[in-house]
Amino acid sequence: MIGSHLIPTFCGMCGPSAGCGIYAHVLNGKFIRIEGMKECPLNRGRNCPKAHAAPEWVYSPDRLRYPMRRKGKKGEGRFERITWDEALDTIAATLKDQKDKFGPESLAILSPARRSYSDYLYRFLMAHGSPNYCHSGICAMQNAFSFAYTLGAARPEADYEKSDLIIIWGKQPVYSGASKGSTRLLVEAKERGARIVAIKPSLEPDAALAEIWVPIRPGTDAALALAMLNVIVREGLFDADFVSQWCYGFEELTRHVQKYTPAWAEQITGVPEDQIHDVARLYGTTKCAAIDYGNGLEHAPSASDAARSIAILIAITGHFDRLGGNVVAVGSTMPLPKSVHLKERYTEEWVDKLVAPEFPKPFQPFIEGTSSTYFGAFESVLTGKPYPVRTIIAPGTQPTVSTRGSKRVVEALQKLDFFVVIDVMGTAEMAYADVVVPVATPYETDHPFEFTSNWIMARNKVIEPLGEYKSMYELWLDLGVRMGYGDDFWNGSMEASQNEQLAPLGMTIDDLRVHPTGIVYPGKPMAYEKYAQVFSTPSPLLKNRPFLPQGKVAIYNTTFEGEGFSPLPGWREPIESLTATPKLLQAYPLVFSDFHTSKVYNAGWLRNVPYLREILPFPTIHMHPDTASVRGIGEGDWVIVESPHGWMRLKAELVPGIRPDTVMALHGWWQGCQELGLAGFPILDGGANTNNMYCVDPDKAFDPLVTAMSSQTLVEVRKAPRQGEATEGKPV
Amino acid sequence: MVKQYGFDFDPARCVQCHACEMACKTLHSAERGVRWRRVVGIWSGTFPAIANRSVSFSCVHCGNPPCVAACPQGAIRKRPEDGIVVVDQEKCFGCHLCLMACPFGVPQFGANGKMQKCDLCVDLVTQGKEPACVATCPAEALRFGTLQELSEEATRRSVRRIAEKSDTAR
Repeated sequence: MIGSHLIPTFCGMCGPSAGCGIYAHVLNGKFIRIEGMKECPLNRGRNCPKAHAAPEWVYSPDRLRYPMRRKGKKGEGRFERITWDEALDTIAATLKDQKDKFGPESLAILSPARRSYSDYLYRFLMAHGSPNYCHSGICAMQNAFSFAYTLGAARPEADYEKSDLIIIWGKQPVYSGASKGSTRLLVEAKERGARIVAIKPSLEPDAALAEIWVPIRPGTDAALALAMLNVIVREGLFDADFVSQWCYGFEELTRHVQKYTPAWAEQITGVPEDQIHDVARLYGTTKCAAIDYGNGLEHAPSASDAARSIAILIAITGHFDRLGGNVVAVGSTMPLPKSVHLKERYTEEWVDKLVAPEFPKPFQPFIEGTSSTYFGAFESVLTGKPYPVRTIIAPGTQPTVSTRGSKRVVEALQKLDFFVVIDVMGTAEMAYADVVVPVATPYETDHPFEFTSNWIMARNKVIEPLGEYKSMYELWLDLGVRMGYGDDFWNGSMEASQNEQLAPLGMTIDDLRVHPTGIVYPGKPMAYEKYAQVFSTPSPLLKNRPFLPQGKVAIYNTTFEGEGFSPLPGWREPIESLTATPKLLQAYPLVFSDFHTSKVYNAGWLRNVPYLREILPFPTIHMHPDTASVRGIGEGDWVIVESPHGWMRLKAELVPGIRPDTVMALHGWWQGCQELGLAGFPILDGGANTNNMYCVDPDKAFDPLVTAMSSQTLVEVRKAPRQGEATEGKPV
Repeated sequence: MVKQYGFDFDPARCVQCHACEMACKTLHSAERGVRWRRVVGIWSGTFPAIANRSVSFSCVHCGNPPCVAACPQGAIRKRPEDGIVVVDQEKCFGCHLCLMACPFGVPQFGANGKMQKCDLCVDLVTQGKEPACVATCPAEALRFGTLQELSEEATRRSVRRIAEKSDTAR
């Protein structure tokens, strides 16, 4: 753009941390557009659609401009303006008081999708004395846990560049990060003749790159994986040398999987027996083959069984850490910046104080740190067990949108002593907050630096903050100082914080700023078959014992057995399913589930950005055309979707690429869009929030090992009595 | 004409992410409802043999543009130096004859009633840069160059694919 000023910085339009590199164009003090940064090795000058919509997001009329304190009752949404000092002093005073009366563990902080500020949240909890960093229990860590304790590696990545067969399993391979190099690699894999198989209930356009679609019912991935193990074992398609040298428990596995035949799996998964045989054989006989598994596995009572089974599949077929398989990254020559987490302060007493452990206490801390669950923290408010949390802080996250059981969450918010919302825009449950503190978007701040495995760059401010607020990082430093934890918070100096983190790289933040597009470090040459090293990886447990006690793949898992869990993965039904609860089928004949990402949105935000909203303007339910036509439902009709637990109102989108017995909706819808005149949706029943649809019974709805909260149920879908978008406050 | 610029689009690479649409829209400040570049997805097949293919489409800057011939005001012209077809909104009075003439439905009309469309990022291209859509595509499905360059590249790509297929067949 003629006359615009270019500022190198990071995109801030998705998470987790380490955004793609961009150049922000500023003209007459206004942020007008972005272009990609070629120098960034992550995106190499390319960006996804969300990146380009940044200016609209930054200048949104929904931005919070100043701190607020609630007036009136919770839920009314009435606030009065206060200053930053008043807001932080109020929070500090409350936390000090509660620490004295109830102990520091009475504070819980909800985790956003992992960001570079996540470790500052952890640091505050460390300084305060609370272990209650609360994960949603539906993402990333669930798979990582099963993989770490089976293979010693939390995230063995699919080696796209060298694969001849890529199995995408429960993932949206492109929309999960379109601008990262993996999109190009996937497309190039296909171009050079790699076969792509997609195992998913519905085929979003990115997975439609696949040549073969395995249309699996939601929540039944463990059954499919066990049946594939059955075929591999029975037909001798395993790598006998690898198994004998590096696997513990193969004999027990061969006996265990006999009952999990493809015929058995067909009636549960809906995948034809022949196809199960074919996919297993294809995987077992293709030398360079990888499984790119994703978030779709993480939401069922059998989530850990699915992930463990897939980890075992990868191992026994000889695809672990081999060319074209699932590999353990070697990283680069870049020294890792020092973490601010203060993990060295963990003790057994610390772990014991967790209000709602995400993983059982004997397995805490896990790789991110100690963690409770979001949902469990809210339940503690209602049940008082094991003790009630008294303050919950939600920094860049929305509990009614990001965890299941929104009704329970709202009940808990009604009862909770103190709720703090810290965000850039209004949130779904902000009306229940006692104090709301706005913070800067990543475009309004010049810190912190960010880094990937081989690149590090200082952040540059694009525009000055648009309101009376500071950055998320400055907030925690400031609050830390007000609480008397100044020694742990660099006495409020973000510069000192960054310099401490950069010390291992031998530079200060000023040194880093000399490189406007950061520094790229040479990679290390890839090495495969690092079995001795990987299988002896120490766990983050306090005694650092290895993940794998035998120094081999834990097919038979003695670590889990020792704590009373099943040593081998098995099958566990979703709470409601076609096979588990046939009595419900009369009233609720269809399987319902949700998917986590889409072309233009991220989690529970971005629906208020007009450029993006124009592309996907309404929350829809994906239905097969036959499923719709027998119900008299046409494309675009508003429909009521009802489960035994709740109901939603969505627009029908007829797609041939979905199982006819299954309907699916996108997670995270609640926002309206002011500029387009589109109203928001109720957070509870009658809106577009999938979290109301599922069972949250603590005895049934969770995977016992990894807390995964189920996202499968049974529903009926019928045309809504009145058509048209609901206008604000008027349900139709 | 000295040279003719154009786009090349490879449907095998398109992942239907809409980044090209957004890059174009934000650069040119296109208003609501107007999309100079459009990504359209099409389903085919019957369950479970289903495919979804997408196309990213904008003006193709025809060699002999029907819109230029149709315009009664001479508001549309094909630049002799690079073949880019541009509209002069001062002259346009929004009769829509260009839309009727275009086989691809490219001309669009915003709030002011006048025609607007892809201008091949003429401001960037004359500075030696790539159009915004091409520059941003994460899958490198869109390319830009002279028709000569694009033709040679397309041939190379096809030859490579044929060779790979015959290698696998052997």
